[in-house]
Amino acid sequence: MKLFRKIITWARIKSPWILHFNSGACNACDIEIVAALTPLYDVERFGIQLKGTPRHADVLVCSGPVTRQIQDRLKRIYDQMPEPKFVVAVGACACGGGVFKGCYNVRGGIDKVIPVSAYIPGCPAGPKAIIDGVVKLLSSLDEDKASSVSTIQGQEKVCDGSAQGMAECPHSGGTP
Amino acid sequence: MSYEEDIRQETVGRFDFLKDSFKIVRPRRLTLDVAYEKFSEVFDFLVHQGKFDILCTITGTDEGEYLGFIYHLAREGGVTLNLKTRAPKSNPVIQTITGVFPGAEIYEREIVDLFGAKVQGLCQGNRYPLTDDWPADEHPLRKDWKPSDSSGEEANHA
Amino acid sequence: MHDAHEHDYEFKIPLGPQHPALKEPENFSIALKGEKILGVDIRLGYNHRGIEKACEARTFLQDVYLLERICGICSHSHSSAYVQAVEEIAGLVVPKRALYIRTLIGELERIHSHFLWLGVAGHEIGFDTLLMYTWRDREIVMDLLAQLTGNRVNYGINTIGGVRRDITPEQGKDILAAMATLEERTKYYVQIATEETSIIKRLSGVGVISRQDAIRLGAVGPTARASGVNRDIRREDPYAAYAEMDFDVITDDHCDVYGRTVVRLKELMESFRIVRQVVAKIPDGPITVRAPRKIPAGDALSRYEAPRGEDVHYVKSSGGEKPERVKVRAPTLANIQTVKHMLRDRFLADMPIVIAAIDPCFSCTDRLVGVRHLDNHKKETLSWESLRAFSLGWHRAKGFDITVAEKKLHQLMEH
Repeated sequence: MKLFRKIITWARIKSPWILHFNSGACNACDIEIVAALTPLYDVERFGIQLKGTPRHADVLVCSGPVTRQIQDRLKRIYDQMPEPKFVVAVGACACGGGVFKGCYNVRGGIDKVIPVSAYIPGCPAGPKAIIDGVVKLLSSLDEDKASSVSTIQGQEKVCDGSAQGMAECPHSGGTP
Repeated sequence: MSYEEDIRQETVGRFDFLKDSFKIVRPRRLTLDVAYEKFSEVFDFLVHQGKFDILCTITGTDEGEYLGFIYHLAREGGVTLNLKTRAPKSNPVIQTITGVFPGAEIYEREIVDLFGAKVQGLCQGNRYPLTDDWPADEHPLRKDWKPSDSSGEEANHA
Repeated sequence: MHDAHEHDYEFKIPLGPQHPALKEPENFSIALKGEKILGVDIRLGYNHRGIEKACEARTFLQDVYLLERICGICSHSHSSAYVQAVEEIAGLVVPKRALYIRTLIGELERIHSHFLWLGVAGHEIGFDTLLMYTWRDREIVMDLLAQLTGNRVNYGINTIGGVRRDITPEQGKDILAAMATLEERTKYYVQIATEETSIIKRLSGVGVISRQDAIRLGAVGPTARASGVNRDIRREDPYAAYAEMDFDVITDDHCDVYGRTVVRLKELMESFRIVRQVVAKIPDGPITVRAPRKIPAGDALSRYEAPRGEDVHYVKSSGGEKPERVKVRAPTLANIQTVKHMLRDRFLADMPIVIAAIDPCFSCTDRLVGVRHLDNHKKETLSWESLRAFSLGWHRAKGFDITVAEKKLHQLMEH
């Protein structure tokens, strides 16, 4: 079982399949996520592929502050993803609501609805930060941590509007 | 004479009671205030004789005892006219203008959801922009409505 | 994902992710009889955040940066439309140099937005080579915008009373160099669009709306201009420095998606023209005038020609530090209402490009389409991915072949 999981983990790191989801964002982060796919940035050289369905995805790359309309769909998509699965919150809104924190109709961040593995701040987060974040997340995997995901609930993410760096939430010890 | 002066003359000529409320704020910006009983005839005149064939949008406002409605009309030459009217909050009933501007439907649904206006003649359809499970008697853009815990965190800015 | 079989696609429309208890609001509900769409119902609001209410709880200045984030593609449009209204209420005379800079950023935004659109439209019809090339070119504009404003998106260039950053003569040179490169590339895209029969056929006769209906239904921007409606806020209700710019309003008479493509391509050429004029004619002087914290009581209507069309902002002040009311009507809200009309009696496979052609300002990644088959009472929910896959399969089966266009584009670009 351990060997099998090791192989899966290796495959995840080497060729993660990504599902992109917008939870009510202004599209800026989404365009930057897509820009990461185009020739200038070209994530396919990392083996990263964008998939259209949660059933084949390893990583959910999610933007937006989560509107009331979309939250159930977000949960559903997360539920449909097979284990092990990871969630990356892209952009200040996804991290903690961004400029829309406190607005009615907005939950205020992805981690209000599903567990988040990594937070990439920025308004929007640029393609380089996004790639950096996803690659860092995947290279932090090892077989013990592959089957669990932890989240930092309620952690305040301060958006200064220009951050291009990446914050990562450490995984807690794995479960067998 | 400018477009603006022409329009003023024609409109006030037809509706004498508008002579004090018709204002030329600056080139290409007109504003007019009308009691709701007179709204329909003034509106029809402006659209047909005044040639205001563009409806930019409808703005709802909370004016205390009244709900205000501003119909932002525009026409060739870039001239716009803010046609303002109101209805009592206790009975905020207005008529749809979708017969003239089919595109008004979405703007009317918006003031129904966000202000609680009652637009008569609006056909069956999805509400906009709130969810189906949003409480029927809560209208977020009214001044006395505050985001509660159920719909989001308290606004904590400024 | 399943491939659609060409003969019985109406019974084998590929299904998107679905759950038996799925009760989510679908963005589009289609009634299908045989191959044809009888009716379309559109449900919006899933990116409704409550911005107008939030504006009332923030100062006039804070709202500049909030409103910028209504849409990440036309952020400058929203912030400019808003500050124009506030400046009018406060009676501020914005320095000319600031107006020129606003115009410059506005046109750079239009350029990036139209390149983005070309890529998206290409993607919807299976022309991914176009997506790659146009988004590569778009990066030139993104870099330029980052250089001029400090950010690729959400430029934060506006403040009440002017702009926050000046441009240098050095930057002026960079801008001109970028325009030269982009203009050359755009000429290739125009060539492909106007000479490749596969592309012309694919986009013609699709998403048709007559001039009368475009006006009646309130269409704006390139969507309206492609139906011969000669309306452009930069010309008829000039703002920023447009009254001093020499440019043409582009219209087209095709009334279809092809027309919308041609209009956007030609608008790119006009944008390059305007940018060059701004760099050549920008007057010296201050870039901002002091704005009071409390904006005097009053109201103003502001109109702006965003890349997608007329953006309308209405602002009302009751004399305080925070606005009494801020109302925004983005161009997509006007154009989305024409879609029902464009799709009636058309094929389901037309849907992706017809929606894309109005250049909608909502997310392209998550639209659910509910299809009700009137012939057999079946109901299915498609993800946008599935719908696109279905559309590509359907068109391929009808003989649409993109390979010649792709080869031609490669040839032109890599010469």
